[in-house]
Amino acid sequence: MKRTSIVQALHAETLIISSVLQIGDSERISARTRALAVQRQYELFFGPEGEQTFLIFTKPIPRWSSPPPVASQQTLHESPVISVRSIRVLGVSSSAVVHIGSTSIAEGEARIKHIRQLAGPMPSAADI
Amino acid sequence: MNYTVINRDVHVGDIRLTAVASASLFLIGDADVINLSSAFDTPPESLIIGPFVPLVPARGGAS
Repeated sequence: MKRTSIVQALHAETLIISSVLQIGDSERISARTRALAVQRQYELFFGPEGEQTFLIFTKPIPRWSSPPPVASQQTLHESPVISVRSIRVLGVSSSAVVHIGSTSIAEGEARIKHIRQLAGPMPSAADI
Repeated sequence: MNYTVINRDVHVGDIRLTAVASASLFLIGDADVINLSSAFDTPPESLIIGPFVPLVPARGGAS
């Protein structure tokens, strides 16, 4: 048995990029995100960039294959309720999940590559 | 191994979050299994100083 979650007030400002606000129980959560973040010093766009596969998007991430061995687990809910007075969330983004309620299995995977491109030093008179 | 969990009263006041991002989870409730992973790549070579060139697939060596 899972406990009941009681939240009196929830204020979420922004939910973007496949994020989820779940109110109520769920069985399985599977969240995935892949981001290629490129910052350039100037506004330059070269068309279809980032279509090639970077290793970070394909390389397997080591995971626990199964929960640790527990011969017998007993859970006693002395109080069947988890209560929260208020929640304020400014932003939820990139496949993140805000979940009020219980779940069984939650898994998530984020893969982010961040590239910054800056202008080189200006060629000095000595170089010319 | 015998493992006993006793969940007593949980009453939380006010939660203020700035952001939940990148396949992360903010959970008010119970879960049996939580398995979250993240790979973030900002290697030194990802800071490119020099001419602005498109991100070209480096053949065989894309990192």
